[in-house]
Amino acid sequence: MALINVSGLSFAYESTPVLQNVNLSVAPGEKLAILGGNGSGKSTLAQWIAGWLPRGSYAANAGEVTVEGQPWAELDAATRAGAVQFVGQVPMQQLSGFSFTVRDEIAFGPGNLALPEAKIRARVDAAVEICNLGHLLDRDPFSLSGGEQQRLSIAAALAMQPRALVLDEPTGNFDPESREALLAQLEKLPGALAIVWCDVTLGAPLSVAERVLLLDGGRIAYDGDVAGLLTHPRTAEIFGLPAVAQTALMLRERGLWPAEAPISMDVGRVASALRPMLESAR
Amino acid sequence: MAVARPQGADHALLYVPGRSFLHRLNPLTKLTLVLWCAVAAFALPPEGTIPLALLSILIGSFAGAGRVFARRLALTLLPLSVALFVVHGMLVDHAGARASLLGLDLSREGLAYMVRILGRIAALLSGSLLFVCTTHPSRLLKALDAHRFSPGAAYVIASPLLLLEPFTQRAKAIREAQMARGLDLEGSFMTRVKAFPALLMPLVTLALADIDHRAQVLDGRGFRAMPHRTVLDAPADSRQQRAVRWAVLVSIPVLIAGGVLWHL
Repeated sequence: MALINVSGLSFAYESTPVLQNVNLSVAPGEKLAILGGNGSGKSTLAQWIAGWLPRGSYAANAGEVTVEGQPWAELDAATRAGAVQFVGQVPMQQLSGFSFTVRDEIAFGPGNLALPEAKIRARVDAAVEICNLGHLLDRDPFSLSGGEQQRLSIAAALAMQPRALVLDEPTGNFDPESREALLAQLEKLPGALAIVWCDVTLGAPLSVAERVLLLDGGRIAYDGDVAGLLTHPRTAEIFGLPAVAQTALMLRERGLWPAEAPISMDVGRVASALRPMLESAR
Repeated sequence: MAVARPQGADHALLYVPGRSFLHRLNPLTKLTLVLWCAVAAFALPPEGTIPLALLSILIGSFAGAGRVFARRLALTLLPLSVALFVVHGMLVDHAGARASLLGLDLSREGLAYMVRILGRIAALLSGSLLFVCTTHPSRLLKALDAHRFSPGAAYVIASPLLLLEPFTQRAKAIREAQMARGLDLEGSFMTRVKAFPALLMPLVTLALADIDHRAQVLDGRGFRAMPHRTVLDAPADSRQQRAVRWAVLVSIPVLIAGGVLWHL
């Protein structure tokens, strides 16, 4: 059974349609990237997947989202918290406003579930290790930098031990070094944890994702692997391709790219694909 | 257990870090004593409130909060003393004998009234200062959680202190952004009054949007999913402290009854 299932979801803010007949499913442990330009509906879809929508006067025009077969609305608060965790774009908004230290912020969620103290400590220690927050434990969460707050938000989400983690442009506040560190940290996560990474850039999410979904004007324009996304006609228009992928595509147009090699953004893979051709030319 | 001093919320707190007996006391015990001080400030006669205030100041000084006490008490009591002296000592026509001091014609009854009011406020303020200077809010929250206090009510205590910092930062950012767009905030009084909505509206709108978002964050982290929370490093409590709390709570009605009888 799919962990998360979105079926026929259409949604509008007032009269502005944002999502149109979106269908997707996320399997347990799957790493999915949802990519799209500004206003394509990524953040709204992320909020639906994480159960943040519907709320207030906002309701789906059609369709629904289920978690392990059950609609979000039918799950109790503790089950919801253990099913999917969401980390949004603005780090300061992710803080609970209840904790005076980083340690307490991470322990806040497990504490709400009334878990035994030893279990909470174990979860906090594990999340601190993954997100490299050991040196910040006694700091006030609101005094941290944007990047540190984002790492804290991810740690607080991981401490809930969810089955899926939804990240909405999580590296927007990161410098390249922090981005690389986060990617390394994500590799340490348990394999059973599904990750849904929404972003407007190709780099970081594609290094994590096994499957990519391109959202264009609220509709799914592509659903497949990374190599297929790079050759999709809208990809270059929306994101602009990195030089290495452009080179590979140009070579393919001229019949110089090995037919069996997928187009990639990874320099190493492109070099490997071209090696036989270069060696034979030599 | 040493309490870490947070950086962000620092300026909003009067807390003075330390390891005194008062610092180590369970926050709920201190809260009960503050409640007793508040009642005593109104129930006791001046002969009781002034020694109570002096005792609190003395204890506060031993706990390392002498400077905060001196500053806060001076800031509150000095202007109030001057106002009460002028109004009740000189202007209000109290009955009874009058006295002359440095050529001023003063009402003895008015001065006694001034001392009574100042004694009450000093007792109330110094008792409260004892609590806030020696209790970090995080310890109070943990004590409340550990005693199965409602998480929602505890949030009402914590969030204003914690959210003050980001709110102030945002207000500064909005002010700078509006000034960069040409809003005049350094002109005449009327010019600044006219500019006020341009500062207030985005601040309020963004604060409301934050509330919506934070409610989702709390919900996502299982806030109020259970009737009570588990808390790490809860402040130590003991049978003796529990006994003191009960004794103090039981003495409060006695204190009120004594105060009423005294005034009869």
